[in-house]
Amino acid sequence: MTTQDYLKTISKSKKPFVIYKSNKGYDLYTDFSKKVILTNKNINNFIKNINKNKSKRNNTDLYIGFFGYEILNNLIGVKLQKQKGLKFPKGIFYKPETKINLSNKLNYKPLKLAKSNKIFKINLNKASYENIFNKFIKKIKSGETYQIKICTKYKNSSQVDSLDFFCRLTKSNMAPEAFMIKDKNYSIISCSPENLITKRNDIITTKPIAGTLKKSKKLNKTKALAFFKKNLKETKEHNMIVDMERSDLSKICKPGTVKIIKKKIVEEYKDLYHYVSLIAGKLKKNISTLDIIKGMMPGGSVIGCPKISTLNLLNAQEKESRNIYTGSFGYIKFNGDMRFNIIIRSILNYRNNSEISVASGVVIDSNANHEFNENYIKAKALMDLYK
Amino acid sequence: MIYIIDHKDSFTHNIVHQFSNFTDVECSNFNNLNQKKLDKAKTIVFSPGPGSPKDYPHSAKIYNRYKGKKKIIGICLGFQQILYCEKAKIVEQNKIYHGFQSEVKVTSKNSLFRKNQKFKVGRYHSLKLKEPFYAKDFEITMRCAISNVAMAIENNKEKIYGFQFHPESFLTENGNLFIKKILST
Repeated sequence: MTTQDYLKTISKSKKPFVIYKSNKGYDLYTDFSKKVILTNKNINNFIKNINKNKSKRNNTDLYIGFFGYEILNNLIGVKLQKQKGLKFPKGIFYKPETKINLSNKLNYKPLKLAKSNKIFKINLNKASYENIFNKFIKKIKSGETYQIKICTKYKNSSQVDSLDFFCRLTKSNMAPEAFMIKDKNYSIISCSPENLITKRNDIITTKPIAGTLKKSKKLNKTKALAFFKKNLKETKEHNMIVDMERSDLSKICKPGTVKIIKKKIVEEYKDLYHYVSLIAGKLKKNISTLDIIKGMMPGGSVIGCPKISTLNLLNAQEKESRNIYTGSFGYIKFNGDMRFNIIIRSILNYRNNSEISVASGVVIDSNANHEFNENYIKAKALMDLYK
Repeated sequence: MIYIIDHKDSFTHNIVHQFSNFTDVECSNFNNLNQKKLDKAKTIVFSPGPGSPKDYPHSAKIYNRYKGKKKIIGICLGFQQILYCEKAKIVEQNKIYHGFQSEVKVTSKNSLFRKNQKFKVGRYHSLKLKEPFYAKDFEITMRCAISNVAMAIENNKEKIYGFQFHPESFLTENGNLFIKKILST
């Protein structure tokens, strides 16, 4: 079956499924034999038991799904105040029995048109954003944080064909960590560019992004690199993330093995240039899947630095649940190998409510107005799908 | 063995790996110390961390208990902690350096490092030492080449050393050199 035919069939069948970007195209996982909804009570055992599953040596020996932001905080002992929100599950994982390779060209005609309220409501207006921004600038001056990312949310009520959204999104932005999940009462689509964990045998890598530039006719890769290098604010943010990710890896890796493989390079995607680094290490003996997840998540580049103190500042401020935003999506194989991204640039649709969360970094030389608008631009790319 | 006291920082394990190049390292959180291992350690390192030295009274107690008895090293917040325990004032600075590479210069002939030598180092600090600062046997031995802010202190008599910058940062060139020299005294 061609990719196009397959997408049509799966959409008609109404079966839950997951799609994740692969090197050559996309992988589609379906026919789920198990679905685990994560809670603070079952998460430790769930992760511990994955590697106890007997491998049948096929390509579905894995659990695929996501960890939300809150459960990742709780996992490392950071508590959140009671928050408003959709009451969406803290994490869900599936055991697939079928895996299909799809090509890079995802063509799909929606079965019915989306019904949506095109107007999005924002949860923080400019004045309250500025208020929080100024509070955090003070915290930077007093040294409690060096970089912090304020989250804003755009929401509407809508019925969407998530597969249609995802296919259109991948056409304009073929992100290396893009994924979607479609289940009965919810869907997630994301064009995440950022890989947080790639683990094969005892080698682990992480690939933080700090710095994004939209492509234009005047730009090329060399000019983009020159732009990032000259931009002191982007450079400092990036440096901070590199040192933080080195440290997170060092917690779980053998001394002397943590190396920066690619240092501050520009990667070119369909519409964007990203300023990225690639850091690798060799895991210590007896490091478990749970140790790795607790060591690396929630991914630092979308939180700020230092991680724990910054999480506490954010959690004291944010009144609304981040849900999936800045959590991680990916899979854990029975043999312990794994791949996880950071969930950003995403739409969560739950019981016909959509939400798009965005954030941008506050460092000492940030400007509230600029960051607020930056957030809007990030959200707009996703809101345009509703047109 | 070296005992690194972590102040919940996101750079501490870079320091653990850096010191592991030279000797055995223990590391634990400042509010979860292993007293037996701390007693056994030859050297105590105060890690970087968020906030200011006055937020960590427990670490100040450790400093006062072991000063002169063990080698003590402080990095960033740890550097400020040593100074704070020596009655210095730690204050906010106008220009803040986070993720910044800058040049420091050795300004004292009594330093373990050669006077006037310059190093490129990584910095992550909101606060700084307020000067003038005097404490018995302590000397400021490095300064920022541009702003003149204190960047290192040495007390070679009691073997107490501190860096305001981060020797473990990838922004610091030859970072291992600093640690090697100080550990070999």
